[in-house]
Amino acid sequence: MKKKALKKEFYMEIRRSLGRFLSIFFIVAIGVSFFSGIRAAEPDMRYSGDAYFDEKNLMDIQVMSTLGLTDEDIKVLKQVDGIENVEAGYSTDALCAGTESQAVLHIMSMLPSMNELTLEEGRLPEKPDECAVDADLLAKDGFLARNGYQIGDTIRLTSGTDDPITDTLTGDTFTIVGSVSSPNFISFGRGNTTIGTGSVSGFAAVLPESFEMDVYTELYATVDGAKELTAFTDEYTDHVEQVLDELEERKEERQDSRTKEIREEAETELADGKQELADAKAEAQTELADAKQQIDDGWKQLNDGKAQLASSYAELESSRETLAAGEAEIAQNEKLLSEKTAELETQQETLNEKQRELDGKLAELEGSQSELDVQRAIVEQNKAALDQKQQQLNGSQTALDAQKTELDAQWAQLAESQEALEEQSTLVGVQESQLNELKAQYQALLESGTADEATLQAMEAKIAEGDAALAAAKEQLSGAQTQLTTWKSQLDAAQAQLDAGQAALTAGQEELNAGYAQLTQAQTQLDEGQAQIDSGRTQISEGQAQLDTGKAALESGKTQLADAKSQLETAKQEIADGRAQLTSGEQKIAEAESEIAENEQKLNDAQKEYDDGKAEADAEIADAEAELADAETEIAKIEPAKWYINSRDDLTDYTGYGENADRMRAIGKVFPVLFFLVAALISLTTMTRMVEEQRTQIGTLKALGYDRRSIAAKYLGYATLATVTGSIVGILFGEKVFPYIIITAYGIMYPHMHNVVIPYNLEYALMASMAALVCTLFATIFSCYRELREQAAELMRPPAPKNGKRVLLERMTWIWSRLSFTWKATIRNLVRYKKRFFMTVFGISGCMALLLVGFGLKDSIFDIGKIQYHELSLYNGNVVLNEEASEEEQDAAVKKLDADKRVKSTAENLLTQVTISNGKEEKDVFLNVPKEEEHFSDFVVNRDRITKEQYTLDDSGVILTEKAAKELEVKAGDTIYVVDDEKGEIPYKIAAVCENYMMHYLYMTADLYQNGFEEEPDYNSVYYIMQDGKIAETEDVGGSVIEEEGALSVSYTTNVEEQLDDMLGSLNIVIVVLVISAGMLAFVVLYNLNNINITERKRELATLKVLGFYPMEVAEYVYRENVILTVIGAIVGILLGKILHRFIIVTVEIDTAMFGRNIDFSSFVYGFLITVGFSVLVNAVMYFKLKKIDMIESLKSVE
Amino acid sequence: MADFVELKHITKVYKMGEVEIRAVDGIDFEIEKGELVVIVGPSGAGKTTVLNILGGMDTATSGKIIVDGADITRYNERQLTSYRRDDIGFVFQFYNLVPNLTAKENVELALQICKDPLDAQTVLEDVGLGKRLDNFPAQLSGGEQQRVSIARALAKNPKLLLCDEPTGALDYNTGKAILKLLQDMCRKKGMTVIIITHNSALAPMADRLIKIKNGKVAKMEKNTSPVSVDLIEW
Repeated sequence: MKKKALKKEFYMEIRRSLGRFLSIFFIVAIGVSFFSGIRAAEPDMRYSGDAYFDEKNLMDIQVMSTLGLTDEDIKVLKQVDGIENVEAGYSTDALCAGTESQAVLHIMSMLPSMNELTLEEGRLPEKPDECAVDADLLAKDGFLARNGYQIGDTIRLTSGTDDPITDTLTGDTFTIVGSVSSPNFISFGRGNTTIGTGSVSGFAAVLPESFEMDVYTELYATVDGAKELTAFTDEYTDHVEQVLDELEERKEERQDSRTKEIREEAETELADGKQELADAKAEAQTELADAKQQIDDGWKQLNDGKAQLASSYAELESSRETLAAGEAEIAQNEKLLSEKTAELETQQETLNEKQRELDGKLAELEGSQSELDVQRAIVEQNKAALDQKQQQLNGSQTALDAQKTELDAQWAQLAESQEALEEQSTLVGVQESQLNELKAQYQALLESGTADEATLQAMEAKIAEGDAALAAAKEQLSGAQTQLTTWKSQLDAAQAQLDAGQAALTAGQEELNAGYAQLTQAQTQLDEGQAQIDSGRTQISEGQAQLDTGKAALESGKTQLADAKSQLETAKQEIADGRAQLTSGEQKIAEAESEIAENEQKLNDAQKEYDDGKAEADAEIADAEAELADAETEIAKIEPAKWYINSRDDLTDYTGYGENADRMRAIGKVFPVLFFLVAALISLTTMTRMVEEQRTQIGTLKALGYDRRSIAAKYLGYATLATVTGSIVGILFGEKVFPYIIITAYGIMYPHMHNVVIPYNLEYALMASMAALVCTLFATIFSCYRELREQAAELMRPPAPKNGKRVLLERMTWIWSRLSFTWKATIRNLVRYKKRFFMTVFGISGCMALLLVGFGLKDSIFDIGKIQYHELSLYNGNVVLNEEASEEEQDAAVKKLDADKRVKSTAENLLTQVTISNGKEEKDVFLNVPKEEEHFSDFVVNRDRITKEQYTLDDSGVILTEKAAKELEVKAGDTIYVVDDEKGEIPYKIAAVCENYMMHYLYMTADLYQNGFEEEPDYNSVYYIMQDGKIAETEDVGGSVIEEEGALSVSYTTNVEEQLDDMLGSLNIVIVVLVISAGMLAFVVLYNLNNINITERKRELATLKVLGFYPMEVAEYVYRENVILTVIGAIVGILLGKILHRFIIVTVEIDTAMFGRNIDFSSFVYGFLITVGFSVLVNAVMYFKLKKIDMIESLKSVE
Repeated sequence: MADFVELKHITKVYKMGEVEIRAVDGIDFEIEKGELVVIVGPSGAGKTTVLNILGGMDTATSGKIIVDGADITRYNERQLTSYRRDDIGFVFQFYNLVPNLTAKENVELALQICKDPLDAQTVLEDVGLGKRLDNFPAQLSGGEQQRVSIARALAKNPKLLLCDEPTGALDYNTGKAILKLLQDMCRKKGMTVIIITHNSALAPMADRLIKIKNGKVAKMEKNTSPVSVDLIEW
């Protein structure tokens, strides 16, 4: 530039309009720094990662085999082209029990040079029983730290499988000597495992000597020239890929050889095993047979003993019976004896009595004798008297007998007379009867009339004669009779006299007889008495004799009795002896019995032992056989060795880092562009405005004859200077600061990667500055061209005023007529200055969008913990049951949890990791089968993210979480397949897709599970919810449950929530950067545009002032437009922000989590308020600018 | 009749670095209500400065201006603004219409802030724009624009109508028509109108003529027989 004046003017211009210059400078600086900085963050992340991996000499290739790897494999690997170095290592997963939980540790051997560990604290292991543990395990909240372990402590490991840990390791206890970090595990993930909870908590590094393995578990290789390449780049990947391909070709052969080796080994082992089994079998059988024999013998002996015992017992019984009989006899005899004795005594008594009686009778008898003798004398006298009287009587009797003989003779005469009379009377009687007969004959003849009169008279005469003769006979007879009667009476009197004499005599006789009788009687009596006395005497003597005999008998009885007694005593003695014998016999028998019982018991035991032993042996043999069979099938089944050739991509979180870098790139593609666009537009409008403002000057210069280039050069120079300086500052600042902030922020996720490599990235620097330069220069050239095209004269004149335009709204009169006049003016203004309108809206919406993204990221990421654990997963803790424990133990754990008063409710679940597929792609998710579907919604809420509609789990299908559904590209109504080892792919219909943020879950009912898997779900986890207000004690409850054998581990949602917050905290800084940037953007844009607006409308505003508008009213006139623009910008910004937010969320999301798609209402409010705040701030600044407008301006001519 | 407007020793001094420029150097004059005043003077004589001060757009360095009994020189910024909006109508040389508003709206722009406005449409009809109410300034000729400007000033029903070179940007005939309008307004509505012009030929139309030269009143005379603009030629 030779034109000195112009040059000077150029510098003056910058000085004069420093604000404008600086605004371009800063907007370019911000845009460029953001653009290049954020973009550079992506490669810088890769560089930093690469630096770390190179430093740690991270392997490029890892080879693992299902059947282990041998030295031969190393050799082969080393021969592969491109392999630089090969190192072999061991690793295994083991369980480590803590006080409150247990965790799975990945135990790995340290390699000679590769995968170098970073020592964080302590030292590396030097002895086989030492280990260096994952620094994260010892960090706060780490498993070991939580369980109180620190360096110097010893950890005990178990295998978690049926095989003891000592199969793989030399010991099961290790002393922690240090904490380390490994390039294999750059973030928090430690991979999965088949034992314990299924996920590895951390690693422990040990010496290779700590492993007791025949073969290596893995080989590590580095690739020639890979170190020089940057990790996570295609160059690196391609480079390693070539070697991987080579390896893939070699692996077949190695696999086969290894398989063969293993098969042979196994077969040999099997043969050995079989032999061993056969031997064992034989041995067992012999042993068993012996035992059996012994037992049988024992039984036999026992039975003999029993028989003996039985006979002894019978004998004993019989003796007992005999004894009892003897005893009874003795008792009887004794009784008899005593009876006899008693009898004897009675007899004695009787005898004595009889004696006494006899003596009495004798005495009595003597008395009677004497009495009798007296009476006898009396009787003798009486007899003599009587004999005399008898003689007298006998004389009387003889007299009387004589009289009587006389009387009797008379009587005999009388009797003769009487008889003669009676003969006469009879004759009379015959005469009468003959008469009577004649009479009867007459009568009969008379009556018959037959008899003649003669005969009749004859007859009458006879009758009359018979009557007369009869009457005379009768007179004689009656006289005889009377004589006889007199005679008789004389006889009677004589008779009576005789009778009386006789009677008196009889009476005397009788009296005598009576005397005699009495006497005889007395005599008899006496005789009788005498006889009696005599008989008494006889009797007495007899009695005496008898008594004497009795006495003698008694005596002999007594003697006998005494004999019997003594005999009895002897018998008793005998019996007592017998009894004693019996008792001892019994004793002996009892002893024998107990002995027998004992022996029997022994034999039974032996039998049992034998049975058990046999069963055991059988079982063992069966087992062994089964095992052998299994082994055989297994050998048959021995999967051919399979090599897994992994690159670094298979390391946990390795790709995550690369993906993070990719995410950064995604962010870098959007944000900086947005910024950059705004910056370019700002500088464009600024430059355009500048050129327009200087129209007159351009005209003047042109009039003076400067060529277009010289005139344009000023503006181009102005723009270039501002842009280039701005770019340089922006690059210098941006490319260092932004990558540093971002890498440091990500460092929270990768706590052990300390390398931060942030070189200046020329590519992005040039890209950004060139773009900025091109934008501003193009804008400048465009404006200049427009102005310079015109004639000088025209340029000197003010530009033709822009036409006022009717806006569309005016056609809607019903709205338009309602608007106040000032609003009409405002709307017209807005429409009129379209460029300003769009620029402002763009700027403000950009600000709003950035703020919204910033806050929204915070909401989405930070809220996922809140939503996940306060709205979706409502349980406070999850107790994982120990599947190795018995069912009772598991039940006990569940019961303990149930019984805890602090716990509100619990739910049993099956929670296991499964692989699901949509037919093509696969994804690992957690399968959750609740035991009781109806209460499941108390623990886990399945709902639609947008409509919040709640889904209930039923048999109509499974519920899949959103992220998994999205990644598998399935939706409700589709079918997914659960990949099961045994059942293959089990199809399930998706009933619903539910909102979820952490991990992926597949929910299904127990019935569905059973239908598909054909087995009962094995509930292995218990969700629990604490009582309100007891949430703080969640971990206490968990801790108490984990003490149970049945509980394996507990996880708490609060812990997960905290972890999540920590992890995602890294994005916080990015958010702060975003918010600050947004503010800056908003301010610069609004200030610039307002400035231009006011400058452009100075004249109009001055006129308003002249018209008497108060400063505030003037400001309002302008502000109204700004307010509308701000509101429109904010609304557009909301839309833009939502889109941007969605885009970013999706790109920054990590695999296992879904970030919220939501932006809180408060974020909209904050974003809006901040945007408005910036707008107000700018407007406040503008107020003073407005106030400064001189009214005199209005009088000037239009420039 | 008492003086409606009275200027006493008004001075305005601009300081440009160390140099003092006395744009107005002690001006005194009085105006009666309802007069049509023409202030004439060459460029740079200070007539616009006087008008600015009188219109409340600028403040005098010293002196006193009494308008309708109120001393406006003692007014603060706010009072001056109120003064402008209620008492003064201003007609600009370059019309200063808001380009984005129609003729009627430009009038309304002024009306919305004053206490006792006239109807915009009536005023516009009065100034002869009854048919162009909804035209934008760019659609109007210069004279028409100036008429809008005048209508805007009149509609406020001001005490004083100040016109700064109202014909300056207009051709002869249009200028004449505008002046006629101003004169008619003055006569018909009894408005006090002050016209600034560098054109001395306009003097006969005034009720009072004030000549300013070098910041001072060179001459002030009352014209007892003002003539209609129609009769004036220049």
